[in-house]
Amino acid sequence: MAIVNLQNVTYKYPLTDSPALQNINLQVSEGEFVAVIGPNGAGKSTLCYTIAGFVPHFFKGEITGTVEVAGNESSKSSLHEWVLNVGLAFQNPFNQISGAKYTVFEEIAFGLENIGVPRDEMKSRVADTMRLTGISDLADRSPYSLSGGQQQRVALTSILVMQPKVLVLDEPTSQMDPIGTREVFGVIRTLAEKGMTVVMVEHKVEWIANFADRVIALHEGKILLEGKPDEVLTSDLLTDKGFGISRYTSVARKAKELGLWKKDRLPVTLDEAVEGFTLTPNPSPEGRGG
Amino acid sequence: MDSLSIYVARASGLHHLNPITKFVLALCLMICGLALPGMWTNYLILLLIIVPLAIWGKVLSRLAQLVFNISLPLVISIFIIQTLFWGKGTPLFEIGPFVPKLEGILFSITSAGRLLFIMADFILFSLTTRPDMLMISLKQAGLPGGLAYIIVTTLQLVPRFVTKANTILDAQRSRGLETQGNILVRAKALLPLVLPLVIGSLLEVEERAIAIEARGFSSKKVETSLIEIPDSKNQKIARVFFVLSTILLIATRLIWLS
Amino acid sequence: MNIEISNLHFTYPTGVTALRGIALTIESGEQVAIVGQNGAGKTTLVKHLNGLLQPTSGYVRIGEWDTQAHSVAKLARRVGYVFQNPDEQLFSKNVGTEVAFGPKNLGYSSEQVQASVKDALGMTELSDKTETNPYDLSPTWRKMVALASVIAMDTDIVIFDEPTTGQDAANIARIANVIKVLRERGKTVITITHDIDFCAENFERLIAMSHGQVLLDGKANDILGQAEILATTYVEPPQLTRLGKRLGFKETVRNEQEFLAEL
Repeated sequence: MAIVNLQNVTYKYPLTDSPALQNINLQVSEGEFVAVIGPNGAGKSTLCYTIAGFVPHFFKGEITGTVEVAGNESSKSSLHEWVLNVGLAFQNPFNQISGAKYTVFEEIAFGLENIGVPRDEMKSRVADTMRLTGISDLADRSPYSLSGGQQQRVALTSILVMQPKVLVLDEPTSQMDPIGTREVFGVIRTLAEKGMTVVMVEHKVEWIANFADRVIALHEGKILLEGKPDEVLTSDLLTDKGFGISRYTSVARKAKELGLWKKDRLPVTLDEAVEGFTLTPNPSPEGRGG
Repeated sequence: MDSLSIYVARASGLHHLNPITKFVLALCLMICGLALPGMWTNYLILLLIIVPLAIWGKVLSRLAQLVFNISLPLVISIFIIQTLFWGKGTPLFEIGPFVPKLEGILFSITSAGRLLFIMADFILFSLTTRPDMLMISLKQAGLPGGLAYIIVTTLQLVPRFVTKANTILDAQRSRGLETQGNILVRAKALLPLVLPLVIGSLLEVEERAIAIEARGFSSKKVETSLIEIPDSKNQKIARVFFVLSTILLIATRLIWLS
Repeated sequence: MNIEISNLHFTYPTGVTALRGIALTIESGEQVAIVGQNGAGKTTLVKHLNGLLQPTSGYVRIGEWDTQAHSVAKLARRVGYVFQNPDEQLFSKNVGTEVAFGPKNLGYSSEQVQASVKDALGMTELSDKTETNPYDLSPTWRKMVALASVIAMDTDIVIFDEPTTGQDAANIARIANVIKVLRERGKTVITITHDIDFCAENFERLIAMSHGQVLLDGKANDILGQAEILATTYVEPPQLTRLGKRLGFKETVRNEQEFLAEL
């Protein structure tokens, strides 16, 4: 039984002409890590909001189809019940800071206060989750004094501490440097292995390839492609429709045309590319000058 | 500036008092000070009550500095205006066309005393009370959570708003917008500065609403609090005492007046 | 028109020293990318170029103009600055008026304004959206409007502050195209970016900053090959450069053509 079950979902925001999502059929099993890619305007954020319950309960608008997530059903549950099981973190970290708290520790506890978690449990949960995301040293800082990357980590931690069954992330590493990105992906991977279901919107294709179980390519509100990372991310369909793909894939495709890439499957990650190009009998290890 | 607050952290007894106690004290002191007659009364309260409290709170120098900076220009204007432009009264000496009057000076001393006293009372309170702590204790005492949230977040968000306004100013200046000059120049600069600010802020408000919603803000469960604000029987008694004394004082004053 | 920065030090009113002795020259028509960790001083440096910030000591000259002698609005004739968030500048009732705002402020004749606006809209693929209200457009197109607004000012120097953050592949391609056209017209283009791949593919010269100082400054190919030093600025080499290194290439490659040539 899928923990996220969207069937024939079509959604139109209020006062708009065309639907943001069309006929979406998506099932995610418990513990799966699903990445969502697509050009801006494809409906990725809308999909996130739908899984998190904000569509339609916050945004109103017209929705058809079934949305069932972690025991909540769109027509029956209310938003405040929904958020207990589904966590949402989105791109702009600045707007996710509550503004009500003066230290990071209290900021992270804010959600737990709202849902009535006892004080002792609150303290240990906050401390544990901060350790998990590597921000224990920021506990006494003011949330507004942090850098964008640090704020994104605080935003993520603030949602993780609520122990949702399903985690929805909309570009959670956009402001982070490569080291921070690697750490966050690592944390999320660990959580997924422990049973948390993750749906993440990402542009950083190389990371998806290494960490996600499945990739969904959204285009103009519809699911264009769905499948394993190395299938979806090397598909020609993506380049045709203007998706961003990793440069390893792109250059290998061109190399293939020149006869310099011998494998069938195009690479997505650095390691795959190295492996594939090293098989090419042409160049000497030192390479040729141009 | 991270938030609109002048709070300074100190390990002092005054800091550890329950915020509501301090709030009640500050309010009662102010009412008493204004209700009592006499030119030197406010100075006395300042010296005998506020200064010792500030010493207890280890913020005396900061208090003096802030009160001085804020009040000095005002006090000087009061003296100049009241002394020189007092109507009928006892002349003191002559400086050209101006004849300072004794009554003016006496009035200025009283007014200045009142001003300094109110400033010091309010600033002492702000220096020793963290705004969010005040909100938490008010919530514990029954203030609606939504109201408390709005007040505290305003304190932190106004500086953000100012930062945003400055960024917009920079962006428009970089497109050749002149902002210094005559009234016409400034009027033309208004729309390019205000519109992005308003629209941008509205967009942010929506995202912010989603974010706190995602953290259970509308949850129907009973809220708990990470931080417990200490309160004691003594403080409760003290608060009642402050309020009763104030009422008594005002009553006495009213009777005395009539 | 050259940019000359001499012994530039800058300390914010809060007491934080952001720039410690920057000295460099950027010649007319150069394409420069500035990289480095958050807090390295990149934005602080670049805000000195159009007078938004004034040196604590040292000087900055745009051509023969010392930035301390001219207002920001005046320096805007020579230096265009594309800010990161388009929503922090859009206010007009339609795209055409918005894009015309800059050139009008600079006092161009109405024919010049019309021509510049048309040209800028063409470059940013906005020609069919002249009558649309900017806020009716998606964030992707609002970014293009902000870009067009600065290009229409036709300045010799254009600065881009994190142009690719939050943009999808299609928009990044449009931005890269705009930069290409500016390069062909002989404009000086300076960018601050976290996207090292974008940087490698579009810029000749790379400046890596750290803690308020210039750590590395030179041709992109040379610098991108020095992975250890780059690492201290929290910058990873571009994807193709890394691949080239792993495959044992002699030369450092930074884009597809170079890669395929080496192969």
